[in-house]
Amino acid sequence: MSDTPRAMRQPMGLKIGTAAFLAFWCLLAAFPIVWITLMSFKSPVDAFAANPFDVILGPVTRDRGNGLSALDLALGLTVLFFTIRQAFTWLPRKVSAWSPAGQVWAGWIIGVMAYAVGFIFVFFLVLPAILGVLNPILGPLGTPLIGLTTEHYQTIWVERGFYNNFINSLIVTGGTVTISLTVGTLAGYGLARSGSNIAFWLLIMALVFRALPHSVLLAGYLPVFVNSAEILRPWLGENAPTLYGQPLAVIAVLVSINQPFTIWMLRSFFQNIPNELDEAARVDGCTHFQAFRWVIMPVMWPGVITTGLFSFLLAYNDYLITALLLDGSNQTMVPAIAGFFNRETTTTDQVVAVAAAVSIIAPLFVLVMVFQRQIVSGLTAGAVKG
Amino acid sequence: MFVKRFALAGAVTVAASAAYADGQASCDWENTTEVTMLSAAFEAWMAVSEGMAACGNFSPELDQEFRTKQPEGFAADPSLYQIGGVSNGTITPLLNQGTIRPLDDLIAAHGEHLTPNQLIQIDGDTMAVAMMVNTQHLMFREDILSDLGIDVPTTWEEVLAAAETIQEAGVVDYPLGATMKSGWNLAQEFVNMFGGFGGDFVNDDNTPNVNNEAGLAALDMMMRATEYMDPEYLVSDSTYVQQQFQQGTIAMANLWASRGGAMNDEAESQVVGLVASAAAPLAMEGGAPATTLWWDGIVIAANISDEEADNAFRLAMEGLDSETVAAAPEAAIWLIEGYTPNDMATGAIASATANPAPPNYPSTTQMGLMHTALGNELPAFFTGEVSAEEALAAVEAAYTVAAQEAGLLE
Amino acid sequence: MKFKTFIWFVGPSLFLMVLFIAAPLASVFLGSFRITQPVVQQIEVETCSAGFLAQTCTTELQTVPLIDEETGDIVTTTEWVGFLSYDRVLEPARAWAAITALDYNALMQIDFWSALRFTLMFTLVTLPLVIGVGLAIALAVNSAARSLRGPIIFISLLPFIITPVIGSLSIYWLFVGDGILTRGIEAWLDRDIAMFAQGWTIELLMLFYRVWHVAPFAFVIFYAGLQTVNQDTLESAIIDGASRFDRLRYVVIPHLMPLIIFIALIHLMDAYRVFDEIVGFRAEAHVTSLQYLTFDFLRPDDAGNRAFSRASASSMLTMLGIVVLLIPLLRRTWRDHKGSSH
Repeated sequence: MSDTPRAMRQPMGLKIGTAAFLAFWCLLAAFPIVWITLMSFKSPVDAFAANPFDVILGPVTRDRGNGLSALDLALGLTVLFFTIRQAFTWLPRKVSAWSPAGQVWAGWIIGVMAYAVGFIFVFFLVLPAILGVLNPILGPLGTPLIGLTTEHYQTIWVERGFYNNFINSLIVTGGTVTISLTVGTLAGYGLARSGSNIAFWLLIMALVFRALPHSVLLAGYLPVFVNSAEILRPWLGENAPTLYGQPLAVIAVLVSINQPFTIWMLRSFFQNIPNELDEAARVDGCTHFQAFRWVIMPVMWPGVITTGLFSFLLAYNDYLITALLLDGSNQTMVPAIAGFFNRETTTTDQVVAVAAAVSIIAPLFVLVMVFQRQIVSGLTAGAVKG
Repeated sequence: MFVKRFALAGAVTVAASAAYADGQASCDWENTTEVTMLSAAFEAWMAVSEGMAACGNFSPELDQEFRTKQPEGFAADPSLYQIGGVSNGTITPLLNQGTIRPLDDLIAAHGEHLTPNQLIQIDGDTMAVAMMVNTQHLMFREDILSDLGIDVPTTWEEVLAAAETIQEAGVVDYPLGATMKSGWNLAQEFVNMFGGFGGDFVNDDNTPNVNNEAGLAALDMMMRATEYMDPEYLVSDSTYVQQQFQQGTIAMANLWASRGGAMNDEAESQVVGLVASAAAPLAMEGGAPATTLWWDGIVIAANISDEEADNAFRLAMEGLDSETVAAAPEAAIWLIEGYTPNDMATGAIASATANPAPPNYPSTTQMGLMHTALGNELPAFFTGEVSAEEALAAVEAAYTVAAQEAGLLE
Repeated sequence: MKFKTFIWFVGPSLFLMVLFIAAPLASVFLGSFRITQPVVQQIEVETCSAGFLAQTCTTELQTVPLIDEETGDIVTTTEWVGFLSYDRVLEPARAWAAITALDYNALMQIDFWSALRFTLMFTLVTLPLVIGVGLAIALAVNSAARSLRGPIIFISLLPFIITPVIGSLSIYWLFVGDGILTRGIEAWLDRDIAMFAQGWTIELLMLFYRVWHVAPFAFVIFYAGLQTVNQDTLESAIIDGASRFDRLRYVVIPHLMPLIIFIALIHLMDAYRVFDEIVGFRAEAHVTSLQYLTFDFLRPDDAGNRAFSRASASSMLTMLGIVVLLIPLLRRTWRDHKGSSH
């Protein structure tokens, strides 16, 4: 706090108040998520137990021989701690060192994936093997304390083929983000540099579109998507596709629904890039497109990344559209687990679904960890008029 | 095993937790054309699709959204699905649109092991083949009833008297459980009770007929029963009631027969071996048990070639064979040969064979509209906002508007 | 920028929006004035149903749609009905009778009005809360030690990134039946509590969930805005003897005003579309929202019936409500637009 002038420092009472408020908020923000994570590692009886300590300690789970000893906990937490620390120190260094220039984002994606795979390998394969040898030798240190089982994760990922849904989620999300940003940056730039009234009314229209309840649109989609082969046959002949169940069709819908927000965000971001930059390029004889390509593109990444994250969240978390327009073989993760929670389930199924829910949140965790700084800096650069 | 899992993994949205302890599904022929299926996702369907998958080239879609997708999918040309999983409630739109085909010639070719009681016939044409029946019947904690010296209740009045005794003894949190989640479930409870009081939902001219003696009696009985329930009964669906049983917080409930197996699942239940079943209670003396009978079964799309239909039906018969029953005996009350009823099925069978017998849930457009109207309007009565007469009048009004919009009423 | 160039830039985006948003919207708009019905006939049908021991056969009159022999489709008629569907959704006569009799309960028996009541309440209550809580967290984080900021921002973002379906469920589990938190409150107040047995507690939970879910979004935007507050202005305010509160009121808040408007805009739209909470907390018995009403009309029942026309009418009414809510904000945007022409 030495960098703040004396007059800006806070009195003690306010400091304590602020700290208490932040602590309370963090507890509130994290508790439900931490709790379902705990539930997902317990046997059904423990997960829905009445006593909160049963959920934390998992006696039934432990008695079934799925316990963790003090040694397990110590080693596991150590590995976790180092994994997270390395993710913030070693990983960024390596990524920036190994990525080809200008392709850092691709390096990040590959780096994070490789890192995650490595972590899973060490944490779920190497560690149990080592501990399996050590625990029986160590007596009291090696006796189980806390019941913890990964069986639900095995069920969901291995037996229920959740990896398929995961891949589908990646396809839909990746496609949506890519197309959304490509189309959105062009439109955002156009809107930012055009002062015409048409631009304004377009923005207002986009705003109204954003306000649309999605269920309104859905009713119109399903019959058209299912019968698209018949509808398109006069134009496309025998190769007319059935759009229902095609990830591409869902990507198109998600991109469109997301477009209003994207162009608003990017427009305000481009408005903050000084006009003089591209004006100068225009004076040198560039067209608008060349100015955009050579002057604007190199400096637009912070805003684009932030907007991309919002697109990502929308596509990744969407339930209404994906549940209705995709069939079983290309189902994404969110509608896939919603199936578990519906009518015909057993308690075991519910805990498995909780495990699936935690699996869905996990990539979001990683995403926020990686892009946290970009989110803030992107918003700083874009949303506020400097 | 792994190869089969791999084949299923891509397609099964939700899979059963039923343990296929004995009997691996096997298939003595190789399916070479791609077969698709859309059905609900409860355990019986898992078991059946498991059986079909053994022949290969099968992509089942077990989807909770099937109600929305089925009519559209079957109406497409060619149909998006060859096989559909339906119940007597959900077959209606397919029948109305004429998108499923008569099965008699296919049964003659491949259905030698089917029995007459599995066939659903409309004007003499077999339109669907049932694999299981389902009904709501009384499940109760045998130990609690015998400790307190209560005979198994046979009427709703006796259920309430028993609940009173259990409440006074204070052995469980709530004597009764019920699937009264607002919407479809609550409407279904009313349908059961109203039928038990001899009510008839719709007149011949499609006008509604619930605001009457039977309707009031049904609502009154349901309201009296809620005094013995968890106060959150308006969010309680089948799974919720099943968990209440498993965790020992309720003693009796009128619950789906297909939920019986879960009571004795040692991984979840704290009351293994203590829950028994009996016929659904009567609502009035000399009436039928206050429940409705359901079946689930398969249909074949009309908009596919005859060869595809033949192949799909042959594959479906693989799923509806005694191997499936052997692999998942607890998953349902099967109509397939080789099924021996377990303890949990006694109640359902007693309900179904009672005299007078409870009605089958009607497969009509009017019933669909009525069910929705009941589900939307009745909660206000249970939250205490309106009286029983007002609620039933609101149901009739909602039904009338919907029926006018659907072209059933002028 | 020339108009032609402008169209090149916005064309792809516009095309997608027109195809997937405007076109369905237009069909919904037209659909709200039309009713499409199947042509039905009454015929006697013998139905034999499966049974545990034997088939049961009944013969009864059934109303079934006519099927066109040639196309195999159901024969339908479409007629223009003017405002009939709006009338059915709004039930103006009944509503007016309830209003003139000052009978609030009777008005709340009409689905649309009770959904409107909840939607408006939800929107207007969560709006100040989201902005207030978001601002409070942003200010608190901004004054926290630098080393703590990263982890706090990370934790704060969790409720925002979590999938809404899962987020609402995770809170639902904590309270439903005798969930962990319900038990905690019971032990604390020493009385039996059922959070899902009456409307107002469910509404409270839904309000809590929405603020929990959206406040982080407001926080991160405000936090970004706080990074660009002009330090010189702040220091000169201190020299002029402005108190901490004055600085907040006269320097920070005006600086954040465009962001507050932005958050308000986004939140108004999203809250007015409230839907996930109703499904997640299974609140439909006690409260529904406008979008849920539309969804409910569209959901086919077992017999495949959907109330398309009423769904269209209710979604047009929802749209109308949103436009009314947004007008003040839109006027401001218009002024900004006029001021920032390039």
